[in-house]
Amino acid sequence: MANPTPADIENLIELFNRSDWDEMHLKTDALEIFLSNDPNARRPSAQVVVAAPSAVAPAAVGAAPAASAAAPAAAAHSAEVSIPAGMVAVRAPNLGTFYRAPKPGAPAYVEVGQAIEADTEVCLIEVMKLFTPVKAGVKGTVRQIVVNDGTMVEYEQVLVIIEPAA
Amino acid sequence: MTIKRTLVANRGEIAVRVIRAAHALGIEAVQVVSAADRDSEAARMADQVVVIGPAPSKQSYLNAGLIVHAAKQTGCDALHPGYGFLSERAELANLCAENGITFVGPAAETIGALGDKLRSRAIAAEAGVPLVPGTDKIASITAAHKAAEKLGYPVLMKASAGGGGRGMFVARNADAITASFDAASTEAEEAFGDGTLYMETYVENARHVEVQAVGDGKGRVVHFGERDCSVQRRYQKVIEEAPCALMPAKLRGELHESAVKLLSSMKYLNAGTVEFLYDVDRQAIYFIEVNTRIQVEHPVSEQVTGFDLVQTQFRIAGGEAALPRQDQIKVGRHAIECRINAEDAARNFMPSPGRITRWSPPRGAGIRVDSHCHDGYLVPPYYDSMIAKLIVTADDRPACVERLQRALANFEVEGLTTNIPLLRYIVAQNDFAQNRFHTKWLEQSVLPAFQQDHV
Repeated sequence: MANPTPADIENLIELFNRSDWDEMHLKTDALEIFLSNDPNARRPSAQVVVAAPSAVAPAAVGAAPAASAAAPAAAAHSAEVSIPAGMVAVRAPNLGTFYRAPKPGAPAYVEVGQAIEADTEVCLIEVMKLFTPVKAGVKGTVRQIVVNDGTMVEYEQVLVIIEPAA
Repeated sequence: MTIKRTLVANRGEIAVRVIRAAHALGIEAVQVVSAADRDSEAARMADQVVVIGPAPSKQSYLNAGLIVHAAKQTGCDALHPGYGFLSERAELANLCAENGITFVGPAAETIGALGDKLRSRAIAAEAGVPLVPGTDKIASITAAHKAAEKLGYPVLMKASAGGGGRGMFVARNADAITASFDAASTEAEEAFGDGTLYMETYVENARHVEVQAVGDGKGRVVHFGERDCSVQRRYQKVIEEAPCALMPAKLRGELHESAVKLLSSMKYLNAGTVEFLYDVDRQAIYFIEVNTRIQVEHPVSEQVTGFDLVQTQFRIAGGEAALPRQDQIKVGRHAIECRINAEDAARNFMPSPGRITRWSPPRGAGIRVDSHCHDGYLVPPYYDSMIAKLIVTADDRPACVERLQRALANFEVEGLTTNIPLLRYIVAQNDFAQNRFHTKWLEQSVLPAFQQDHV
């Protein structure tokens, strides 16, 4: 790999795309490659700015479509949810409508303050009547439910904030 | 305009193009993007942006459910599919219809019918549009000789049970049939368990021509002239122009008439393109297929007719205005488009995504650049490698070729490898300037020489 060919680099990108890694950083004498699934990511040597990528204020998008018409594009990205230090965010796996309960009138999956396991379902995302439960992914305590019931969420939008168990 | 807000279900230069057309008509644009396109030009221009999924197309731009969900939730009353991705999937048009969203394109049934090769050929035949002439089964060498006399040499013998070149040969005279018939039949027998052969006209000197048309969904169809897209590599168009300067007026009239007949027979709605093979030696045209979307190369037709085709698409979809009359659409001047791709032609067209450190397209009279790129833009590795379209217009083809040569010489991109050196090489060829080429010309005559010079 001292003198990688374009094919080598293409293979690396291909491998990276097939992997479940978030980032890959490779440095040789000849080159330095930094691959990341986060389009906002910068090379490790650069100033790292941690931003919740697509956290959107729900009202800006889902609540009142007619009223939000004139909202400039930037507005969709400006209202980012800050994740307090030591907390973990549960993010939307894709665009959809966020529901706190498995069906209307049923108790919510989780409430603030509730202790949960990593495989506890915390909410539901619906796309075209296809319902996908979202798991916490980490054992801990629910600290905040960020999105209002029944609103549209975007890919990677912060849904729930969890304080991991020590 | 009855359409108030449209979803733009595409990315790259066509998303930018669609947003511009929407805004010109006072329509708001909601742009869906993958995570990789959050900072794209289209996202910057749109009135609202919705991130629908991660970078891979399957989880974003190819997921009709996500896209229509976003359209509904943002209050869109229309959806423009662009080209590629879901633009020719009946599924997307159907989902739009089910959810009360106007699909800016043909009806779902039209997309389905024309997307099926055999059905579209049957529809063309029914409408009286010429197909490549061929025969039924041919049982013997004598029968083959007779059939070839009738079709005219050269002819192509094919196995009726399969493809892939098995049992296939080109014959330029009767002796060639005598020499190869039995062997081809045996080969077909071994490959497919059926040695039956049939015959088609072989088009040696082929041009790819296509007619841009728009229909009102009630049977009225107008055309915007033809395009010649014969500079191709692996059936991918590289350079397209309008009009097809080579074609005599009488044949051009037949070409336009065939396209209009076909589309009006199905009460075609919105923009579509009917593709033909132009057999230059026989001076004949044969139907290939219909593309039920706006095409990459639509700008050359816009340049020579003065009509904005994407705005026309919105107007038709909105049921607002009637189609223009055919006699209001006049073709004047000449336009040529080059597709600028982030790929390395000297290394077998390896895609070359990366960050553009300098973006300096040519400017000036008769030069149009449709692109989503700018200084510092990161061309993501997940999608098509096209980064721009350079469209040049002049009074006639010779002047247009000259202007194109100068424009390409002034097109500077740094940070990644593009096909601009190849495009410069192609348009510098005498055969290109003299309009002497066919659909295999680039691959057979130009690329070998280019690759020898650029390793």
